[in-house]
Amino acid sequence: MDPKKPSPNNEPQLRDHIYDGIQEYDQKLPNWWLFTLYIAIAWFVVHWLCYYQLGLGSSDTVVIDKAMAEMQTARDKQMETISDEQLWALSRDPAAVEAGKATFMTPGMCVTCHGPDLSGMLSGAKLPGLPLNDQEWKHGGKPTEIFKIVRKGSPDITKGMAAWELVLGMKRVSEVVAFVLSHHKEGEPITRAADSPGAAPAAATTAAPAAVTPPPAAK
Amino acid sequence: MPLNPLNLVSLGSINEDGSKKTLHPADVSGKFTRGRRLVALVLLITYVALPWIPVNGFPAVFLDVLNRRFHFMGLTLAVQDLWVGFFLVTGLGFSLFYVTALFGRVWCGWTCPYTVFLEHIYRRIERLVDGDAAARRKLDAAPWTAGKITRRVTKHGLYILSSLIIAHIFLSYFVSLEKLYEMMHHSPQAHAIAFGVVMFLTAGLYGAFSWFREQFCVIMCPYGRMQSALVDDHTINVGYDKKRGEPRGKAGTVGAGDCVNCLRCVQVCPTGIDIRNGLQLECIGCAACVDACNTIMTKLGRKPGLVRYASLTSFEGGKTRFIRPRTILYTGLLFLGVAVFAFSASRIEPMRANVLRMQGSPYYVTNHIVRNQFLVRLINKRNEPRSFRLALEGELPAGLAAAGADAPITIAAQGEELKPLMITLPEAAFKAPFKLSISITDTKDGKTYRTKPFEFTGPDATLKSNDYLDPGQYLQK
Repeated sequence: MDPKKPSPNNEPQLRDHIYDGIQEYDQKLPNWWLFTLYIAIAWFVVHWLCYYQLGLGSSDTVVIDKAMAEMQTARDKQMETISDEQLWALSRDPAAVEAGKATFMTPGMCVTCHGPDLSGMLSGAKLPGLPLNDQEWKHGGKPTEIFKIVRKGSPDITKGMAAWELVLGMKRVSEVVAFVLSHHKEGEPITRAADSPGAAPAAATTAAPAAVTPPPAAK
Repeated sequence: MPLNPLNLVSLGSINEDGSKKTLHPADVSGKFTRGRRLVALVLLITYVALPWIPVNGFPAVFLDVLNRRFHFMGLTLAVQDLWVGFFLVTGLGFSLFYVTALFGRVWCGWTCPYTVFLEHIYRRIERLVDGDAAARRKLDAAPWTAGKITRRVTKHGLYILSSLIIAHIFLSYFVSLEKLYEMMHHSPQAHAIAFGVVMFLTAGLYGAFSWFREQFCVIMCPYGRMQSALVDDHTINVGYDKKRGEPRGKAGTVGAGDCVNCLRCVQVCPTGIDIRNGLQLECIGCAACVDACNTIMTKLGRKPGLVRYASLTSFEGGKTRFIRPRTILYTGLLFLGVAVFAFSASRIEPMRANVLRMQGSPYYVTNHIVRNQFLVRLINKRNEPRSFRLALEGELPAGLAAAGADAPITIAAQGEELKPLMITLPEAAFKAPFKLSISITDTKDGKTYRTKPFEFTGPDATLKSNDYLDPGQYLQK
């Protein structure tokens, strides 16, 4: 076909160039369509300036890191705000203790390993869990220390104590701790177990060390 | 000629300088127009009514994003069941292929929501406020008088109102009607996301239907673009009978065909094409030109059907074949999609359970007892609380016990529970890891569900002694 020849029916003119036998008509694109291109170009300039030159916006990674850090701070803070006094107070609140007991005694929960009477024994047989009704505490007997073990699980992953915060949430964890503490009295002597992390081999001292060594498998 | 010369290589809805030409399709009446109105009415009523019709205690279609439960005509899917949606979507896709191969863009002209809203709501409003095509063209050209401003404000006000209503109904598919009603009585800040979605939708609908209109169907719609690959010479489309119509001429001209070149077909076209140029990508198969031409032909005492639904083959004088490789293939795919969807949807159970190993070690050995700790996630998809009894299943060694499976567990309606399960086995009885699963029995109707098999692990017997460290074990004597 002669490229110069005007098409019939007043159709638009064909352009001269031919590539691979393909020709195009000399027509305007719809303006609204062109504007989407112009807006994209303008957006590119703004984006490039903000993100790559002026450092105004933050990348997704930075946003996520920031959000994660905020969550961590909030969690740490939540942990700090729960004090030994508060947990002791909670352990004297019948409603919280009753709720904690319900969770504790649910089949498959705490009762499975620690026994219905918290002794770690069931009809004469030793259960996997440590007794919770005596004054020997392997990982520290302060309410916040017990609270931490229930939340995060045993620092020794070869033991079965799981991180219950994931399953129960903070509220029910605090209730369970309140239930356990309701079997104890504030100010009673606390002993470390013989195999306590960081404890002396014959650790029958009555003075409980305040600080527990940070668990090696905390992360 | 009153309109731009229309041809196959330019868009009838774009001016030569690239600006958008506002089309004013003329009024048309006839059997197809009536049929389309009826279809649109049914579809609009369905759209409004679905959230109001309760089936099994939930709206007929309710995509409860917040609680991650999806209700379709009484079938409730948890988010874990959504994979069946793949077959629903492919099934719908293949049925669209099928319909297109047989009847062209019948979806576009008759049932597409875009067309239904545009033709049967927004254009009706425009017709009501601004009058017929000639009046609308005149009003467009008129100077801005108080009368024109009143009409424009009224028209766009009604457009925005319609958009708001459509957007709210859309939202009622995702939140319950009560919740929607409650949200509408609060300040926008109280439900900022829902409010933002509705405002965005309203703006989108208003922009699309007041201004963008046919541009979407002609340039943007992916289904419209896929058309050309799906139709062939035997597909029924709206077409013009060239043999009968050409050469065009006024009534009474000697040797002229049936087309009197009255341009009614062009005037009524919502996408601004001349159907007499043949099958075109802009055509949405709405059949407005069929009704328009039939009216003229009847007036002239000629046979209707100069413009009609027919295949290219039939316009050439041949016979339309409905059974052809393409339609057989699409029918096969359609049935395949429907069958797989029906099969997978029928396998969706009203309760779902899966087993996760608890964080920590895979197994523990205490007091010569091997212990595996699991979390069982139980999902009750019913609309009422149910109790379930758990039991271990499989080829179980003697002495295997599960703590936590003894009492039935009650799960709230639509509820989800994470249940710890301690499975224990005396160390002496443990020979090798074995598979087991958990059966969950509904205490009310006795129906039993099963989890996928999972493994009970323990200490490898060969590692319990130090014999394997002895090189003598591995030397040939």
